[in-house]
Amino acid sequence: MLYQLALRNIWRNRRRTLLTLSAMIISSALLILALGVFSGMLRDMLATATEQYYGHLVISAKGYQDDRDMFRHFQSDESIGTVLEQEDVLGYSQRLRSFGLLSRQQNSSPAEILGILPLQEQTVTSLHESLIDGNYLTTEDPNGAVLGSGLARRLNVVPGDQLVFVTQAADGSIGNDLLLVKGIFSTGDIGHDNSLALVPLAWLQQVLVLPGQVHEIAVKIDQPFNAASLAEKYRVDLHETLEILDWGEMLPEMAEVVASYDVSRMIIVTILYIATGLGILNTFFMAVMERTRELGVLMALGMRPGQIRVMILLETTIMGSLGLVCGAVVGIALSLYMALVGVDLSGTLTPITYAGGTILPRLHAVIEPGNILIPSVCLLIVSLLAGFLPANRAAKMQPVVAIREE
Amino acid sequence: MALIELKSVTKIYPLGNQEVVAVDDFSLSIEAGEFSVFAGPSGSGKTTLLNMIGCLDQPTRGEIWLEGQEIGHADQKMLSELRLRNIGFIFQSYNLIPVLTAAENAEFTLMLQRVDKRERRERVTDLFSLLGLDGLENRKPSDLSGGQQQRVAIARAMASEPTVVLADEPTASLDSHASEELLALMQRLNQEQGATFIFSSHDPLVISHGKRVVRLHDGHLESDQ
Repeated sequence: MLYQLALRNIWRNRRRTLLTLSAMIISSALLILALGVFSGMLRDMLATATEQYYGHLVISAKGYQDDRDMFRHFQSDESIGTVLEQEDVLGYSQRLRSFGLLSRQQNSSPAEILGILPLQEQTVTSLHESLIDGNYLTTEDPNGAVLGSGLARRLNVVPGDQLVFVTQAADGSIGNDLLLVKGIFSTGDIGHDNSLALVPLAWLQQVLVLPGQVHEIAVKIDQPFNAASLAEKYRVDLHETLEILDWGEMLPEMAEVVASYDVSRMIIVTILYIATGLGILNTFFMAVMERTRELGVLMALGMRPGQIRVMILLETTIMGSLGLVCGAVVGIALSLYMALVGVDLSGTLTPITYAGGTILPRLHAVIEPGNILIPSVCLLIVSLLAGFLPANRAAKMQPVVAIREE
Repeated sequence: MALIELKSVTKIYPLGNQEVVAVDDFSLSIEAGEFSVFAGPSGSGKTTLLNMIGCLDQPTRGEIWLEGQEIGHADQKMLSELRLRNIGFIFQSYNLIPVLTAAENAEFTLMLQRVDKRERRERVTDLFSLLGLDGLENRKPSDLSGGQQQRVAIARAMASEPTVVLADEPTASLDSHASEELLALMQRLNQEQGATFIFSSHDPLVISHGKRVVRLHDGHLESDQ
């Protein structure tokens, strides 16, 4: 009976109810969309950092990631094989790294040379998808190189040009050899676009005189946000001279950004819902005030104060639930659109590198359960809280006073 | 034992820094089946008395007994229960619940008492038939005339078969023809069903229908005939 009465009370002033519902739906839908876009930006940043260079996990000799010392190299052993066979691992790439000088004619530039196995590297990073000229490395290329766009521009090279690479080899000699430019990539990450060159692993092992050796194995996993716990889990299986680091340890600023996201999210939710909550509170107070006499009559007829309170709270709960469901549906629909289509802002904005990742010039949403659940649950809580004050006022009314109210 | 007994009842209302004595040392007994009218000018205390008998208000001093139970100092929960089980109200301006149909309004107290749906419908159908409301069951109050609304209010007051029906100026919003009809109906319910009615009114028509007329003046009993 109370439910039926509450339901009819909601619709007695349709315009006001629809306006209040609209406020609820719009606020929660926009919040779901905003959080989705926010998450999308965060995913983009993480992806540019991990899927364009670092990987989610990196296995290397202890201390290598601190100083990138050429002599901290290792050879793949059984313990590494155990890690790489885990079901969470989507791919891995063995890498050898060197820093040296690339030059062509009068142009030269310091560069980071990453020796890779092309097919392996494609399972970890997406550099092969960022080519703007030429082709990616193949297994048949003995001395091919794929350069970042900034580096290529500085050296004034295009695919087909030859480059000279000079560096110090592991045996103390000067390692040098010719490279053939195969392709040019552009990721939007200025740091890597200006300095990184990918070369065949075997070629670099020969130049550095480090046959069969690698400096790191970059690993891609299924759930990037679980990287820390997986690193912890795999650490016990590794040989004592090796270490495994997750992206958060390699990019502490990025880890901070991710950690601060939850706080930022709650701040946004709180600000928006305080405003929405006050609107709902105002509506329900109005609804109770103008029904004072009627509520007095209900009490005179024998309705207990507790039943009056439940009736008003039911009204707010029904409104909140309706707002929640409709808001979630609209929010998910908008987020889906932004996930599938998005908005390209590259015409007006340039990529911004921040905390080791790159904020791409686009609005793109990802759908995460938390981004839908948090606004929805908060809306219901706000509705209940907003209903509590008027419900309490109604329950405390003296029927004889309420009936006299005009 | 009287159905209702008021013993030295005084009701004082605060009004700013002053106090207004609405009812002063008032004593009265009402037997079951009476058709009584509290008559008097505005401010004589008749509505205050009705509110106290109806468990809507409580006396400042004195005792009110309803069916052998002292209700003058009962707690809110008990008062709610007494209103639900023992009292039927008919208000001056009908006070039907606008979101409920005529039949649902009449059934309301029965729903609160958790009476079975079929029984509720039977009782309300009988009452509607008796009160000439056939065919109006599904109308909303806004679609009914003043006289029809007041009849629905009577049906609501009578549906739960209360100990006493209290009517505060029940004809004040009706024309004389509708008032006459309504009073005749209530007299019939009083005679046929033995329901106890107490009115408060200054309308000579209502007063003329009362079997017992209790006149009040400034919160005092002036006459009891």
